[in-house]
Amino acid sequence: MRKVSCLFLLLALPLQAEVAFQDLLKLPAQNWLSYSGDLTARRHSLLKQINTTNVGNLVPQWVYQVKDSKRLQLTPLVVDGVMYIGHTNEVYALDAGTGRELWHYKHTQAKRHEGNRGVAVLGDRVFFVSSDAHLLALHAKTGALLWDAEFGGSDKNSQVHATLAPLAINGKVLVGVSGGDCGIRGFVDAYDAASGKQLWRFYTIPAPGELGFETWGGHPIEVSGGGTWMTGTYDAEQNLVFWGVGNPGPDFNGDLRPGDNLYSDSVVALDADTGKLKWHYQFTPHDTHDWDAQEFPVVIDAVFQRKPRKLLLQANRNGFFYVLDRTNGKVLLAKPFVKKMTWAKGILPNGRPDVIPDTDPTPAGRIACPGIKGASNWFSPSYNPETGLFYVITIEQCDIYTASARAYEKGECYSGTGAEAIPSEPGQFFLRAIDIQTGDIRWEIPMIVKDTMDPWPGTVSTAGGLVFFGDNEGYLSAADARTGKVLWHFNTGQLITASPMTYSANGKQYVALASATDVFSFSLFEPMRPEPVTLKERYETRGATAGN
Amino acid sequence: MRTCVAVCCMLAWSALTLYAQDQAPEKRIKNPFGKDKAAIEVGRTQFNSGCAVCHGPTGQGGRGSRLAEMERVQKMSDRRLFEVIKGGVAGTQMPPSSLSDQEIWQLVSFIRSMNASAFDLDVPGDIAAGEALFFASNKCSQCHLIRGRGGLSGPDLSNVGSRRSLEKIRKSIQDPDAFVEPGYARISAVTRLGKRISGTEKNNSNYSVQIQDAQGEFHFFLKRDLRELVHHIGSPMPKISLLDVELQNLLAFLSRQSLAPPETEEKIEHGKEVEP
Repeated sequence: MRKVSCLFLLLALPLQAEVAFQDLLKLPAQNWLSYSGDLTARRHSLLKQINTTNVGNLVPQWVYQVKDSKRLQLTPLVVDGVMYIGHTNEVYALDAGTGRELWHYKHTQAKRHEGNRGVAVLGDRVFFVSSDAHLLALHAKTGALLWDAEFGGSDKNSQVHATLAPLAINGKVLVGVSGGDCGIRGFVDAYDAASGKQLWRFYTIPAPGELGFETWGGHPIEVSGGGTWMTGTYDAEQNLVFWGVGNPGPDFNGDLRPGDNLYSDSVVALDADTGKLKWHYQFTPHDTHDWDAQEFPVVIDAVFQRKPRKLLLQANRNGFFYVLDRTNGKVLLAKPFVKKMTWAKGILPNGRPDVIPDTDPTPAGRIACPGIKGASNWFSPSYNPETGLFYVITIEQCDIYTASARAYEKGECYSGTGAEAIPSEPGQFFLRAIDIQTGDIRWEIPMIVKDTMDPWPGTVSTAGGLVFFGDNEGYLSAADARTGKVLWHFNTGQLITASPMTYSANGKQYVALASATDVFSFSLFEPMRPEPVTLKERYETRGATAGN
Repeated sequence: MRTCVAVCCMLAWSALTLYAQDQAPEKRIKNPFGKDKAAIEVGRTQFNSGCAVCHGPTGQGGRGSRLAEMERVQKMSDRRLFEVIKGGVAGTQMPPSSLSDQEIWQLVSFIRSMNASAFDLDVPGDIAAGEALFFASNKCSQCHLIRGRGGLSGPDLSNVGSRRSLEKIRKSIQDPDAFVEPGYARISAVTRLGKRISGTEKNNSNYSVQIQDAQGEFHFFLKRDLRELVHHIGSPMPKISLLDVELQNLLAFLSRQSLAPPETEEKIEHGKEVEP
């Protein structure tokens, strides 16, 4: 007994293998440290063990079923061989090489059960949001709850909830809220990573006296929407956070809110230390089609229009692919990436859309394109700096939009009615590769079966010259990033409801996808050798020697 | 005996199938006895005569399911527990209970007491002295973490107050071998290349083993790559001699360690899926 006790004393040394802020800024390789791999949302991995010459040999290595899950929407994170899975009010740590569980945390006191898009890591902590909008910090090595910061408020009738993966930056953790269709006032919050103390809040709907309040025609700010339900991106050089803002409310009835409705359907650039707005760009002023701007605002530096520039890319739900100057929010390029587009002729030099009249929803219903799911949505695009192509799952669809004048009622949703598919014209998914210099579609892969209802498939790009993507038939596939030629596919037997990622463990590259009810992990085929029989595995009572 | 079987099967069935159902507000019935000590004792008597044969006198389970310190039981509403005991489940071995409503409520009080966490109790003792003992004098923190402070070779005790009953914490201190927390059994591995790793066993299968060392680092092995693997029986925690007052102070301190006391399902709403 004494021997064991002494051993424990000797081993009680400082912790190691913590995630530093600087690590979060690097393009992902062995590790995948944030929802999009790094804080720019390029979603491009430097790994190339799996590449265009061998991806045909990719085979599943393990599957982990997440209990009680239906539609996983997370991206797994991997830190030094440990995979972190965030699910509705739960977090799992797994051995990334075998899928075996290490610890599990369940937030039993959560008062809602919504989808969840995963976790963030910083230092020795794992951060995630509960469905009832608490930001929770867990110890990465043990899964123990370290602090709990409520950010949704204590109003029982509030529709504020949370589904996003937090954004961890230098000493801070940022979160946003869901519920923009149900009469909330959206915001972005920052918390101190060490203590959970709130540092700042930025409301997406300006208060009386603030710039932008006049764009609502007196509509009450507390129910005007502007959700912030996807993770933002970060530019370390400018110390700016870029956050997509959701639709104005009521979604489909614009008569109640005359004006541009700032900062709905915008990207806001916030000072990471103060939360102060540096600039904004509104993609869809006075939106009446529920075109949240939650698609990832992707941060890249590139020569553009013959000058090195700091760019922000977004394939917006409204059907335009935008290239912005991220130092000031000015539009450098805006071009449709869908053919089905009825609401605007283009984007004018001043950045405003050249709106086509009479596309707003009506009580009888009116067809408009893109559809309510948007030309794209929250599922992840990716950008490969070697090809200069932006890979995005795209939806070609029109819907019938219907409006009503129902007034806000506390505790009820506040959409102003809705949209539905045209039965004779089902939508269609495409994987499109957009040349960021021109906005031209360099190649595309159509999903032949026309069904866009349930899947949420995304992408990941790799230095192996590949783009992995999900489709609407349950397949995870890999295409040549330059040509769009499909080189590999696997039928998961599941609905694809999230975006793939890649990592390596023990020198082996894996591609993983958390979708529907399972996490799948793939790597290159190696013949399985018979298990050796020479392992001596035995049980000993305390005090017996075991090579200690 | 019939009551015992009823409780056993009904609890298991109820936890699995009734949990997700909504309750109308008017059905949120509370136990009239609550934490009344006399009612708990009456309930204990009922339990011992009708239930303990299956569930064990302390509710640890045997032929019947475990009832003590079970998250599912903790989260069940009073009304649901009452219905589980009173009702029956068609098609199972469980007939309805013949106890009166009052007796069933007393039984509910007793089952609740078996699930009461240390955090729920007003544990006497000097919390500050217990903290000093934990972090300094007695070196508990050499192996145990509380909110990121301490060692990693024993269970993280950041929220032990709400995760464990007072009796279980007491027993863990006085007799560490009585219960080894899953994931904290001690294990030693030697690879085919002669590298030795000791730590706690996070997971184990026929093909791989996952070990966490005292620094918190994870070590993952395929068993084909190991030469030797030793599972150490019993707790690695040494038995420690404490004065009664020291033990009480330590219990007072540990009982307060919780950020997240569990709530019953009466307070939990079931929502919908993520908005697009």
